[in-house]
Amino acid sequence: MTLVKDVRQLSRGWRWSRRRLPPHSAEPHHSFAEPREFPTEWARSRPARAAREVLLRGGLSPLVRRETTTRVEGLDIFDDLEGPVIIVANHTSHLDTALLLTTLPVKWQRKVTVGAAADYFFDAWWRAIGSALVFATFPIERRGTGLSDTPTKLIEAGWSIVMFPEGTRSPDGWTRRFRPGAAALARSHNIAIVPVAISGSYAAMPRGRNWPKPGRPSVHVRYGRPVRPLEDENTLALNARVSAAISALLDEDGTDWYTAARRAAAEETPSSAGPAVANWRRVWTSTAGPTVRGGRPKAWR
Amino acid sequence: MINALEVYRSLPRYVAARTVGPRLPGLLAGPLAPLRLVHRDAPRPPGDGWVRVRPRLSGICGSDLATLSGHTSLYFTPLVSMPFVPGHEVVGETRDDAPGIPAGTRVVIDPVLGCEARGLVACESCSKGQTNRCDRITAGHLSPGLQTGYCRDTGGGWSGELVAHFSQLHVVPDDLPDNRAVLIEPLACAVHIARRAGLRDGGAALIVGAGAVGLFTALALRELTPAGHVTLVAKHRRQGELAKLFGASDVVSPNDVATAVRRSTRALRLEPERGPAYLLGGVDVAIDAVGSRASVDTALRSVRAGGRVVLAGVPGDGIDLTPAWFRELDVTGAYASAGDAFEVATRLAATAPLDDLVGVAYPLGRWREALDHAHDAGRLGTLKVAFDLRSAS
Amino acid sequence: MTRPGFVLTVDERTPPLLMHSGESFKLQEFPLGSRVIYPAESLPGLPDLDEAIENALLHPIDSEPLPALLTAGMKLTIAFDDISLPLPQMRKPDVRQRVLEHVLQHAADAGVDDVELIIATALHRRMTADEVRGVVGERVFRSFWPDQLYNFDAEDRDNLAHLGTTDTGEDVEISKRAAESDLLVYVNVNLVAMDGGWKSTAIGLASYNSLRHHHNAHTMVNSKSFMDPRHSELHSSAWRMGRVISEHVKVFQIETTLNNDAFPSQYGFLTKREWEWSLKDQAMFLATKRGIDLLPTKTRRRTFQNMAAPYAVTGVNAGAVEPVHDKTLERVHQQQLVEVNGQTDILVMGLPYLCPYNVNSIMNPILAACLGLGYLFNMYRGKPLVREGGVLILDHPVPWEFSMLHHPSYVDFFDEVLAESTDPKVIGPKFEQQYATDPWYTHLYRTSNAYHGVHPFYMWYWCAHALDHLGQVIWVGGDRRSVARMGMRSASTFADALELARDTVGSSPSITYQHAPPHILSDVR
Repeated sequence: MTLVKDVRQLSRGWRWSRRRLPPHSAEPHHSFAEPREFPTEWARSRPARAAREVLLRGGLSPLVRRETTTRVEGLDIFDDLEGPVIIVANHTSHLDTALLLTTLPVKWQRKVTVGAAADYFFDAWWRAIGSALVFATFPIERRGTGLSDTPTKLIEAGWSIVMFPEGTRSPDGWTRRFRPGAAALARSHNIAIVPVAISGSYAAMPRGRNWPKPGRPSVHVRYGRPVRPLEDENTLALNARVSAAISALLDEDGTDWYTAARRAAAEETPSSAGPAVANWRRVWTSTAGPTVRGGRPKAWR
Repeated sequence: MINALEVYRSLPRYVAARTVGPRLPGLLAGPLAPLRLVHRDAPRPPGDGWVRVRPRLSGICGSDLATLSGHTSLYFTPLVSMPFVPGHEVVGETRDDAPGIPAGTRVVIDPVLGCEARGLVACESCSKGQTNRCDRITAGHLSPGLQTGYCRDTGGGWSGELVAHFSQLHVVPDDLPDNRAVLIEPLACAVHIARRAGLRDGGAALIVGAGAVGLFTALALRELTPAGHVTLVAKHRRQGELAKLFGASDVVSPNDVATAVRRSTRALRLEPERGPAYLLGGVDVAIDAVGSRASVDTALRSVRAGGRVVLAGVPGDGIDLTPAWFRELDVTGAYASAGDAFEVATRLAATAPLDDLVGVAYPLGRWREALDHAHDAGRLGTLKVAFDLRSAS
Repeated sequence: MTRPGFVLTVDERTPPLLMHSGESFKLQEFPLGSRVIYPAESLPGLPDLDEAIENALLHPIDSEPLPALLTAGMKLTIAFDDISLPLPQMRKPDVRQRVLEHVLQHAADAGVDDVELIIATALHRRMTADEVRGVVGERVFRSFWPDQLYNFDAEDRDNLAHLGTTDTGEDVEISKRAAESDLLVYVNVNLVAMDGGWKSTAIGLASYNSLRHHHNAHTMVNSKSFMDPRHSELHSSAWRMGRVISEHVKVFQIETTLNNDAFPSQYGFLTKREWEWSLKDQAMFLATKRGIDLLPTKTRRRTFQNMAAPYAVTGVNAGAVEPVHDKTLERVHQQQLVEVNGQTDILVMGLPYLCPYNVNSIMNPILAACLGLGYLFNMYRGKPLVREGGVLILDHPVPWEFSMLHHPSYVDFFDEVLAESTDPKVIGPKFEQQYATDPWYTHLYRTSNAYHGVHPFYMWYWCAHALDHLGQVIWVGGDRRSVARMGMRSASTFADALELARDTVGSSPSITYQHAPPHILSDVR
C-alpha cells in the first residue's frame, strides 16, 4: 500500500508525537513563530467549572489539608467585596496556587482564574489541559511581549484573576521584584487588588520538589485588605503599594498585626526581599518555615 | 504424379473466408482455405514451345493470400480457371530442351500468359512487348488465366511440376543462389512499378506498405530512378530497417504519414470533419503497395496536385476518389512486369542486399504453417515465405 | 517580516523535502550533507497598487510624466506581455489590467483617439479571446477587441517595419504600428530577471528575421546566464536593437514586479519550509497528492492549469527603458536572489507542471527539457550552480505527449530533428530554416493558436548552455523513449539516478537541490 508508505514517510520525517526541530542549518532562518495562545475558553465553561469544583473540594482540598498544616487568615475581607478583583500573592512554590484556590471562599473560588506561565504550563498539551482544568489557568506570556487581551476579556466577563507578579517562583523563598502587569490591569479596569502573603510554602515544597515535605509542614495564607487604585496614581506607584502591602502581611505573619501596622506606618516594615547576605543564609532562613505563635502548643517539647 | 496445392471452387469456403478472414486469419490457413494438397498428374505441355519446369523455390505472394481469403474483386472471376495451382514466383529447373536453354537449366518464370504463350497472333500490346497488358488472356489454346498460377492448364509454383512457354523463361545466372532468384519475379514487378511512377529528377515519393512489393519498390526507385526523398510507410521494425537498407530516406508508421509527408514536403495539412487528414501539397508520386482501402486513401491524400498515384496492389473497395478529382491526380496501375524488367530484376537480385530475405522455406506438406507464417510475415520480421520443392520429386 | 532565502544543509532533523514532478509532487529524501536552496519568503505587496501605478506614471524615471506625452490626435500604441507571464497565471485582476486601465484613462483624458493595443507575442502562440479578456479585463477588452487589441503577428509582412541594423549588423524588424507610433507604451510583468528591459519591445514585437540574430545556439551558449542581463549575449543583442528602436519611436516602459506567492493558500505546503509543516499541512499534502494521482490525466491537467497565483505586486516603475529596468531588477533580486557558496557536483531539480509555453496546454518533452536545462538551470548569477562536467538530475515524467493545437512543429521536431541530432549547433544550420519558413506552421501560427514553426529550435537552443556545460543529464521517472530521444538518461528512482551519476562525478559527490518554485536566482560565489 502506497498510502501506508506515504503516511509512514510523513510520520518519520516529521517525528509525530515529538517536539519539532528545524534542521540545524535552518535555525538562523527559523522564526520560532509566536505560538498561538492555548485556548482555555473551555475550562471556564459550565461543565468544566462543575468538574473543577468536584476536583478542588473533593480532591485537592483534602489533599492539601492532609499534607500540610494550613492556616488561613483575613478571609473576612471578602465579606463586603465585589468582584472581579485581582488576587496577588508572593510566589515561592507550586503549592501556592493550590493553597489559594482551596482557601478562597467558595463563591469566589467558582469565579477565579489563574494566570500561569505560557512557556511552562502551556508548553505541552497535557500539562496545559490539566492545569486549565484543575486550576482554571490561562496562559500569560512572561517573556514580556506585552499582555494578550485574554485577562482583559476575563475581567470584563466578571472573572477574578490570580496573579503572581514576581513572574516566577522565588529561588530562595524571599520575595522578588514585583512586575507591574497586575497593577496595570487593575488600574485600567479600576478594580481592587487583594494582596495575599503566603509563608511557609517554600519550606514545605520548594522549587524542585513536586510533593510537600513529609510531616505536614506549616503554611500560612494571609489575605490582606484590598488595595484600590487611586485617581492620578500611576501603575508603578500602585505596584509599589501592593508590594508594600504584601511585605506588611508577611511582617504581620512573623510578628503581630499591631506591630506590623506600626512598623508600616513608620515605613520600617522589614523588606520581604530578605537581607543582603550570602545566598545560603537566605535559603537557610526561608527553609525554617513560619513561626507559629498562638497556635496550639505541641504536646511535647 | 506430383504433389500440388490446388485452389478449388467452394462457395461456402469463399463466403466464410470473406466474412471471418479479416478477423481470424488463422482460419485461412486452416479449415477454411479453399485449398487442398493433392497428388495428381503433372500438367502436360499444351503444345510446341512449352517445357516442363520443376520448381525449386516458390514464393507466397500477397495476391495469393488475397485469393485464398476471397479478398480479390469478383472482377477476376473470368480471368482464372478453376481448379488451379497457385504460385507465380518460381525459380525452377527445366526438364525439356528449349531454344538456347538446355534441359536442367535453372530458370525463373515470367508468369504472364500473353498471346505468344497462347499460340495467338500478337495483340497490339504484346507486339509492343507489353505482355502484361495482353488483351487475349482468356483466349487461345489455354484455359483462361492471367498468369501461371491462375490457369488450370499450366500448373503453378506450389507443386512438383508445371509447364511454361519458352517466352516465359528467363535463365538464372549460375552464381545466383535460389533464395535470391526466387525474388526476381517480385523484383521485376517492383522495377515495373518504379517505371510506372515516372518520377522527375529529385521527385518525392511515398510508398505505402512495406511488404516485399513496397520494399522492393523502394529499392527499384533508388536504383533506377532519380527519386529524391522516398518515404516508406511501415508498421513493423524489421520492415523499417530493410527500408532504410533499400534506400528509403524516411520510414514512418501508418499514423504519422500525414505529419511526416507534410514536414518533408512543406505542405499544408487539413483535417476533414471525418476521415484521415490530407495535404494540400505533398509528394509527387505515391505508390500503394498494400491494396487496402486505407492504404489507397493514404496515397491519394498525400500527393500534390497533379501528382501521380500508382496502384501496385489490387485496390480495395469504397475508396474516396475525391482527391483524384480535386487535385487532378494521375491514377496509374502497375500490374506484373513488362519489357526488360526481368533482366533488370535479375541484375538487382545479384547486387542488392537481399541476403536472408527468404529465411524460411516450407515443404508443401506444411502448407498450413507456411500460409500462416506468410500471413503474419510483417510482424514476424520475414519478408518472403516460400515453398521448398527441391526435396520433393 | 520576510525571511530571506538561504541554503540548508540536510541533517538528521531534516524531513523529506517537497519536490515537483510534472502534474504531481512528492516527498524526496536527500543524503545527509546535501544542500538545499530555499527561496525567500514573499515580500509584502504594495499597500495601494492604484496609487503606486499613478505615482509611477506621474513621476517617471528619466521621462516626462505620461500625461505630458499624450496629446489629442497622436498615434498611441500600447504593447504588453502575453500569457507566458506570469507563471502560474495571476489571480484576477491581472496587474497588466490595472496598469492598462490607468494608462488608458490618461489617454482618454488627453483625447487620444488612435489607440492600439498589441499583445507582444513574438513567435509565441496567439492568445484566445478569453485569455486576452483575462489579462486586460472586461473594460479594456470591450473597448478595443478585436480591431484595436490584437495579437502581434510576426509573419504579417505588410505590418512589419525594418528599422535598420545595429552596429554589429543585426536586423531590427518590429511591428510597423509600434514603430510608427508617436508613443509606444510597454506594460510588462517582470517575473524573472531575464524579462523586461529592451527584451520587451526588441524581442516581443520582433519578427523571425530579427530574432534569429540572438535566438541561436551560439548566443545561448554565451549567455551566462540569460537570467543575468549583464552577462547575457542575448540581452546585449536586445539592448543594441533597443537603441535602434529608440531612434525611431519614443518608448515609455512600465515594469511591474511580483512577489513569491505562486500558489493559492490552500496549497500552502508548496511554499512552506518542510520542517514548519503543521499536521494540517502534512494532511493536506497527502490528500492533495493522493487526490491528484487518482484523477484522469485531463482533469488533473485542468486542475493544475486552473490554479491562479495570488501574486502581490511589489513594485511599479515607469519611464525610460534602461533606468526603469535597473530598478525592476533590483526588486526582482530582492525577492529571488539567494547567496550560494560554491558550485556542486550534482544539481537536483523537480520540474513543475508549467513553463512559459504550456499555459493551458501540455508540457511536452522538449518543453520539459527547456524548463529544466534552459529556464531553471540558468537561474544563476556568476557561476552555474553545478560545476562544469557535473550532473543535472531532473524529476519529471516526460510523457511522449504533444498538443497538436499549440505545438504542431514540436511533434515534427521531436520525431525528425532530435532523431538525427541533439546538438543545438548541428541542428540549427541543418533544419532551422526549413521549420522557420514551413508554410503550414506559419499558417497555424497566424490563424490558429500554434507556436511558430521555429519555436522548438529556440527551446532547444535555450538548453545549449546547459548541454554544453554539463557532463550528464538524468531524468528521474522519465519516459524512457522520450528521454532517450533527447540524448539523455532516465532512472526510475532518485537513488538510481545518483548511482548513474557516479560514473561522471565519482562516489561522494556534493549534491544541491534547488527548491523551486517559487523562483530562486542563485548568486553563486
